[in-house]
Parts: sequence; structure tokens; C-alpha cells
Amino acid sequence: MSSPETLLRIEGIRKTFPGVVALDGVDFDLRRGEVHVLLGENGAGKSTLIKVLSGVHAPDDGRVLADGKEVRIHGAQDAERLGIATIHQEFTLVPDLTVAENIFLGRQPRRYGLVDRKRMEAEAAGLLERVGVRVSPRAKVRELGIAQLQMVEIAKALSLDARVLIMDEPTAVLTSEEVEKLFSIVRTLRETGVGIVFITHHLEEIAAVGDRVTVLRDGRSVGRVPAGTPEDELVRLMVGRSIEAQYPRTRPGTGEPLLTVRGLTRDGVFHDVSFEVRAGEVVGLAGLVGAGRTEVARAVFGADPYDRGTVEVGGTRLARHDVNAALAAGIGLVPEDRKGQGLLLDASVQDNLGLVTLRSATRAGLVDRAGQRAAAGRIAEKLGVRMAGLGQQVRTLSGGNQQKVVIGKWLLARARVLILDEPTRGIDVGAKVEIYQLINELTAAGHAVLMISSDLPEVLGMSDRVLVMSQGRLAGELPADEATQDAVMALAVSTTNTATQNEEGSRGL
Amino acid sequence: MASDTHLSGAPAGRAGAVRRLLLENGALSALVVLVVGMSLLSGDFLTTQNLLNVGVQAAVTAILAFGVTFVIVSAGIDLSVGSVAALSATVLAWTASEQGLPVWISVLLALGTGLACGLVSGALVSYGKLPPFIATLAMLSVGRGLALVISQGSPIAFPESVSGIGTTLGGWLPVPVLVMIAAGLLTALILGRTYLGRSMYAIGGNEEAARLSGLRVKRQKLAIYALSGAFAAVAGIVLASRLVSAQPQAAQGYELDAIAAVVIGGASLAGGVGKASGTLIGALILAVLRNGLNLLSVSAFWQQVVIGVVIALAVLLDTLRRRAGVTPAAAGAPGTSGPGAGGKGARAARYAVALVCVAAVVAAVTFWRSGPSGTTTTKLGMSLSTLNNPFFVQMKAGAQREAKERGIDLTVTDAQNDASQQANQLQNFTSEGRSAIIVNPVDSDAAGPATRSAGKAGIPVVAVDRAVNKADTATLVASDNVTGGRQAAKSLAEKLGGKGTVVVLQGTAGTTASRERGKGFAEGIKDYPGIEVVAKQPADFDRTKGLDVMTNLLQSHRGVDGVFAENDEMALGAIKALGARAGDSVPVVGFDGTPDGLKAVKDGSLFASVAQQPGELGRMAVENAVRAAEGKETPSMVKVPVKVVTAKNVDDFS
Repeated sequence: MSSPETLLRIEGIRKTFPGVVALDGVDFDLRRGEVHVLLGENGAGKSTLIKVLSGVHAPDDGRVLADGKEVRIHGAQDAERLGIATIHQEFTLVPDLTVAENIFLGRQPRRYGLVDRKRMEAEAAGLLERVGVRVSPRAKVRELGIAQLQMVEIAKALSLDARVLIMDEPTAVLTSEEVEKLFSIVRTLRETGVGIVFITHHLEEIAAVGDRVTVLRDGRSVGRVPAGTPEDELVRLMVGRSIEAQYPRTRPGTGEPLLTVRGLTRDGVFHDVSFEVRAGEVVGLAGLVGAGRTEVARAVFGADPYDRGTVEVGGTRLARHDVNAALAAGIGLVPEDRKGQGLLLDASVQDNLGLVTLRSATRAGLVDRAGQRAAAGRIAEKLGVRMAGLGQQVRTLSGGNQQKVVIGKWLLARARVLILDEPTRGIDVGAKVEIYQLINELTAAGHAVLMISSDLPEVLGMSDRVLVMSQGRLAGELPADEATQDAVMALAVSTTNTATQNEEGSRGL
Repeated sequence: MASDTHLSGAPAGRAGAVRRLLLENGALSALVVLVVGMSLLSGDFLTTQNLLNVGVQAAVTAILAFGVTFVIVSAGIDLSVGSVAALSATVLAWTASEQGLPVWISVLLALGTGLACGLVSGALVSYGKLPPFIATLAMLSVGRGLALVISQGSPIAFPESVSGIGTTLGGWLPVPVLVMIAAGLLTALILGRTYLGRSMYAIGGNEEAARLSGLRVKRQKLAIYALSGAFAAVAGIVLASRLVSAQPQAAQGYELDAIAAVVIGGASLAGGVGKASGTLIGALILAVLRNGLNLLSVSAFWQQVVIGVVIALAVLLDTLRRRAGVTPAAAGAPGTSGPGAGGKGARAARYAVALVCVAAVVAAVTFWRSGPSGTTTTKLGMSLSTLNNPFFVQMKAGAQREAKERGIDLTVTDAQNDASQQANQLQNFTSEGRSAIIVNPVDSDAAGPATRSAGKAGIPVVAVDRAVNKADTATLVASDNVTGGRQAAKSLAEKLGGKGTVVVLQGTAGTTASRERGKGFAEGIKDYPGIEVVAKQPADFDRTKGLDVMTNLLQSHRGVDGVFAENDEMALGAIKALGARAGDSVPVVGFDGTPDGLKAVKDGSLFASVAQQPGELGRMAVENAVRAAEGKETPSMVKVPVKVVTAKNVDDFS
């Protein structure tokens, strides 16, 4: 089995946490110049495995071999010495330092005891060119977009002369264009002999970039297959059963317009955005990252101000920049940044579910805690939130269950219009389908859903209509049967004519 | 839910429940360890009277800390509570005692003052977008300043009807403890059951998520800081009632004690976590420590070291416990935490408990030496206003020398210029049954109630350096500050030949020494119409501040002819500021005759110092305390002579 080409090999790794067996006899190996995809649902043990390889966790049992010799990885320094670099899902960059400083953080080239900026920036420029990103080494990291951050992380890993590069869901936050760019970098690295461990939830990426796939399920390695394996087969390996339909959208008849947005403009951010969402309808909002989708959603919800235009719910105009007006009218926002904006991570499931209804559950200043508890229990059961109890800290739930809690708090508040911003980001396949079923149930009950997503198949699979934004404007609208990946992408990259800066705007269709 | 998930296979029953409670609450176990340790080390600790003392001594900190808990849970910080407490008490006393308003209106005004201060801080934070640290730091300064402005620097007598809050019910149950318990219950109710309280957790946990869930974050913050201000006002009233005097300088630095209590109690400065019970435990830990260290006669200097170490250990214990994965029951335990988690957490917690134990025992044993010494039966307690100043250090040395010669046990404590801490120390001396107590009051009015209760217990009290008002003392041993001030004026005026301009550096506003010396100087200088006092500015008896203030004054009064500083430290600072001009061209007169001051007189930079004899003050205090303890007659007043020291006679003093 072991060939000289094997960079890294692990055998029978076992790791337990209090009450949980995270890894239970996992085998895995990585060769020179291959992209080895690690596949599995959330909670299958992928993150734990990565943490074992990067020295965050010490395994309870099993062996790790580098170049055929048994090694112990007890910390980031050990991993670095072995040439293992990890790009975590959450970036580890310092926002107020420059790109060059971030790349060489802690290892800045020095001269006479002082940091040699010139050399550092020159070397950083070389690395950035290698990953093919046009960013000044002197730019502050805070000013970069999310895709650029990813590239800086890769440049940082390269600066360590990594022979093993672990990438934890690097495509989760990228648009398809950026994903393509990332893939070409991955391919280049592979050619130079770097071994890459690649984690993704997007099955179509496996064939595009991978060589071999190891599937993890419940802490065990359940299969090692070539990257060309059909997606159905991969899904079956992952979940232990086949998932009938990835996008189980059922379309009820649509009713009255619930949310009507007209000529919404925030100077310099988005311009003249008009659309409506009807009861029972899912409207997808597609576009590249930075096209202004989230900004429009926040303005509609009253979280941010806008300069011109109107937002109406059921015919009643809402006050501008007033979350409480939107709330009273029945709008709910499930924000893009689930942990940063949607949840009180250290609070209980019950407290999170009851957050929006806190005021209505208050009589004479006192909160009806028993009532809140009962309501939270009811909704948690309805949504199928998997938890130890209502007292469990939300931080310790899986991503899918966290998202259910965020949606649940709006359902408790009887929101009729739900704005879902990237509702399935970082959620595994099984939980995704559950969220989609939930969307079906909501629309069947007469709710309206506006769904922002960078996952094109999801937008196409779940929406009844697709709105496409480009550079702060609505570039067009496609009915479900006309919406294809190509059609959406064509609109998304269309540059709106600068001559149409007048108020007539650029509503495509 | 949390309770179910913790039902592991571990030893069930009451013992198991107690153990679990301790493991889940690091602060509570630290408190238990401290109480057990103190009881073993001192027989005087575990008495009903002493435990009630601890309660009283914890009350003000606890009430302040309850208010701060609200702010910290919502991820803010409130540094202004000490100042706001002092300001509220001052408003109450001023409106009632000096403006003659009905007392109930004054009480409402005081509470309103606290509320208003909180509202201003809250408005600065939520609408002005200032960081809470800065907004409340500003309020700290403003509040203290207004208290001094209203009171003109002097303590104001507290109305008798309100002062009942500082006494006891039925002769034994202290009202401050009741107020503390009521405030604690109110805090628990607010945090656990009210809309405002639940909002605090939401805002502290994730402000943006709270805002996007429809919470009116700005308005809530306003209410949170207002609540903290109101609690500070209550604490201020309790503090002033105990001392029967509203002191503009009261509660300095209490905000740090309050914050420490909240954090020791398990709250996170990052917000979202914290409970009323934890805060109470935190405040009790601080009070038990201070009380116990007094009882154990630990040296005043070491006490501060020990308190700091215990604060760090108590929080460290909690952090270790959390890292080990035992989630506090209140936050809800994940279903995954089985016996494994308990075992690991218990181990870490045990290490931490052991650490605290060792620290407490080592601290106590190390300083035991200064405790009981052999067969003597006369035990004296001496509470000094501060040891931050050579004058009092010399007084302490004089007293200790005398005690040693007589073979008497003398315990010296340092009140750190805090009248209420001094009251605690006197209370502790009383409950230990000392033969006699020597007090060097931080404030003459404020020392009254504690001195009276010592008298009731049949323990004679000797005042030194400053008198105790409204209480019987066996003897007052003092040098005459007013006369000293007059003598300083005379020697400075004569040196200047009866004409010229003079600036005065004042001591800490509101202190007796500053008032009396200033008064004497003003009276003395009146006899010389050719001399004009062009500026009077406070420099807080501090050498660095003396330097700064004098530097500033020299900008506006370049040609000043002479300087009077109300103590030597400030005088030495002024000499630094004057540079080569100090001495012959600009004479500086100081006060106290400290070693540094006398050295400056000798080398000519300090023209004169009004020398007190602090060592002699201490010696006489002990001598008279012993006489009083033996039931012998003592003179009501012992005057220790004051002398003007100049280059001519300095050799007689060194």
C-alpha cells in the first residue's frame, strides 16, 4: 500500500470527546501531487480529522506517518515543521495589518532586528502572483473581498513551503467565477507536487478538481472511491441512504403580493430596485458576491437606511430604517452571517427562539418564561431541531440546527415574509434538504420567501422566479422554467450601461 | 433541562448535590474555602457578630456590583458607580441638612441623581456612540467633581432619619445587610424575569442579532445604565448612613471592587453571562478576605497583595473549570457532557481549589508572625488613615516602638483613605474584643458611628492626629494644625519682608488636615496686608501633583514671590517646578517635617517646614491607649508640639 509517493498516512485514528466518539478508526492517505477530497455530512468527523492533522487535537489512538515515519503532531509548530498548512473555514487574518504582514505574520524577514519591509513586500508580491490574485502587498486586509482573503490565505500557506495543504470548504463563500480561479490554482499546486486535502459540500466540484475521494460517516471512513464516481453514489455513501431529490420544491398556487419594493435606492450601493414577492412564492435573488443583494435585503428589513423608494407589506408602506416596523408588518430576516448576526451563541435554544417574541411575551415588565418555554418547545419539535434540550447552548448545535433555530424565532413571531440570506451556507446535504422542505411548508401555508443564494443550483432548484442583480442593479428576472445556469450567469456578469444612471434604471424584464 | 442532563451516575444524594454545586460554581467553592480557612485560622471569625460584620462590610460593594452586573451582562462597563454613589449621598445630605428640604424629597433627589448620571452615561454610549469605558470614565470624573462642588469639599452631616439605614434592627440585624439582600433579589428578578433583563443577555450575547430581532438596543442601553446609576445611589445612601456623614471623597475606587465582584461571580466582561447570586458571592469573597486579614493581623501592606492574588485565583479557577468543559447549569449543559466531562472538569476544579487553599494558608501563615506574641493580655488595634505617606509611616513606627517596649500586642491596619473601610476595621477590632483602639480618622465625622459602637462594647478609643466627632474618645493626641498653619504664614511673610505674592498648594479637597492648615494659614496671612495670595490650587498632598500644579501656576504667575504647601510632599514637588529659583529667591514653606522635607531644609531649597512629630504622636497614642485600657484616668487632649524648622534649627530635628 505504502508507496514512496505517500506524503501522509494515518491509520486507525480514534478521537473521543466527552460523550461523543468523533473519529472511530479512520484511515486516510495523501500522495504527492493529488487532490484528495474529504466528503461527509456535518458531524461526520471531517473537522476533527483536520484538527488532528494540524495539531489542534491529539488523537487518543492510531498512528500518523509522514514520509513513512511515525510522527506526533502536538501543535501548530509541529505541523509547520512537517510542511502541513491548513486553510480554515474561518480566516485567520488580522484585519488591520497589510497583506504582506499577514502572509509573514510571526516570521517577518528581519534586518538589523527590524522588519525588512521591502523584502517582505517583494516576497509577498511573488506569492500573490503565484496564486494569481491582483492585490497590493501593502493593502490592508480589512479592505479585501472574501475571495481575495481566501487567496491571501493560500499565499500564506505557500509561504510556509507547505507540502500538504488542507483546505476546509474553500469554495463555500466564493462565486462560481472565483471558484474556477481557485481550481486553477489548486491544479497548479498539484502539478508542483503538493498534496491537497480538499473538503467541500458541493458534489459537482469533486469531479472538477479531485483525484480520489474518502467518504466519512459517523466518524468512520466508509469508502475510498475515484473522483469520477457518480454523485448519487457519493450521496449514498455519505448519508447511508439515497436522497430522493436534492431540491424538493413543490409549487403551490401564488396569491396576493405580500412584499412590494419600488425604486429602492441607496446612493452608491444599489439603485432603483423594484420587485414583489407573492404569498406562496419563493423568489430567488442571484448575483455575484458584492452585487448588492444582501444590502437590498437589509434595507428592506429596515436594518440599514435607504435614500429613495418604498417598501410595502400587504399594501402598507413601512417606515425607513426601522427594524421594528418591518417586524410588526411581518418581515423576518435570516441573515447571511448566522453566527455573527443571527444567534446568541452562548445562550440557550429557548432564549434564541424566544428573542423576537420577547416583547410580546412581556406583561407589566415581566417575561412569561413558562409560555416562552412552551412555545419554543413546540416550534423546535415542529422544525425537528436536534438538541439535548431547550437549555442547550446554541453554539454546540450543528450548522443546520442553528439555522433552524434562526428560522424558528421568526416563525414564532408569525413572520409572513421571510428573507433568507444564504440559508444553507455551510450546511450538509441532509440538513439542506430539511431546510428546503421547511421552505415548502412555509409557502404552502401562504408565507412569502425571498431567498438570496450564491449556490446557483439551489437558486434554480428552489425558486419560482429568479431575480438577478449586477453591480447594485436588478439586471433581470427569469421565471423558473427559463432560469438556467447560463442565463443567470449572463445577467449576473452583465455590466449595466453607465448611461442608464437616470432614475429609469435598468430593470431587465 | 440543565438539571436533568447533569444527573450522571455520580454519587447521588445530598452530598453529590453539594459537590456538584461547588464544582459548577467556582466562586462559591472559593468562598467556602476562604470561610473554612479563616475559621480554622482565627477563633474570632466564625461568630454571629463577625459574620454580620462581614455582611455589612460587603453591602456597599455588593449593591454597587449588582448595578454593574446589568452593565457587564450587556457587554458594557461602568466605571462611574463609585463617584455616582458619593454624588448621590452628597445631594441627599446637602438638600436635607443645608437646604432644609423634607428628607423624603431629598431621598428621591438622591435616587434621581443616580438615575440621571446613568442616563447621561447611557446616552453617551448609545446615541453618542462613545465606548462605555470612556463614557463612564468621564462620568466618574464629573460625578466626583460635582460632589466636591456641592459640598465645597467638606463632609456634610447626614440627616438622622435616613441614617437609620446604617444601623441595626432590634439591636442586632444590620439594615445594610437587608438592603443588600433586597437589592440582590431585585437584581435576580430583573435579570431572570423582566424584558429588560432578558434584553441584557441578548445585547451582551450578540448586539447585532438582538437588533435584527427587533430589540430596541439603544433604548435598552439607556435603561441599563440608568439602573446602574440608581443602584449606585442606593449604595451611596447606605455608605453615608453608616458613617452618618456624606463625604464627597467617599467610595473612591469602589468601581473596581464592584467590577471585581461581578467577574469573580462568574460574569464575562465580553457580555451575555452573569448572575445576581454570583455577584453576591464575589462581593462576599472580597469582604471575607478583608475581614479575615484584619482578624489575622496581617500586615497592612501584605493585605493588598493577598487580595490581588485571591481575585486572580478565584477567576482563574472559574476559567479552568470552564475550559475543562463543565458548563454552568444556568447556561444549559449540552447533552454530550456525560460523566467524562464531569471527571475532567472535577479534576481541574480540584487543582484550582487546592491552589486557592494553598495560597490562603501560605498567606496566613507567612504573616502570622505579626500576630499574637506570647503572654500579653493587652491587645491594641490601630487603624491609620493611610500608609501612603511618610508621615503616617513614622506615626506607625513610633507606635510600634512603644508597643514593643511595653511588650504589648499592637495590630496596625491601613484604611487607604477610605472612611468606610476604616469603619469596617474599627468594627472588626470591636468584635474581636481588643483592650483599646487607636484611630487616626480618615474623616472626623465618619469615624463617629464606629467609635460609638466601640464605646458601647466598653472599649476605649484614642484618636490620634485628627479628632472623632460626635463620639466619646478617651484622649485626642494631636498636633495643632491650625496653629501650624498660622506659624507657616508668619515665617513665610517675615521672610518676604511683609509684601509680595504667594501661591498655596492645597491638600486633598475635603480632608481635615487640608482644611485646618489652610484655615490657619489664611488667618495668619491676614496680619500682613502687603502679601497677596494670588492662587490656591489642590495638589492632593502628592509630590508629582505638586510639581504639575506648580508648573501650571508658574505659567500664569511668573513672578510669584513665595509658596505655601499644605504638606512637605507638595512642597518638594513645587521646588522641582521652581528649579534654581527655589530657596532664596522664592521661599517655599511646607508642613509635616518629614525626613525628605528636613533634608531639603538643610540644603536650603525648602525655606521652612512646620514640623509635627509623627513618631511622638504614635508613641503618645499607645501610651494613652494602655492607660485607658487599664482603666486609668487619661487627659482628654494631648498636644504634641509643632515647630517651625528652618536652616537654623534643623539639626535639632534630624
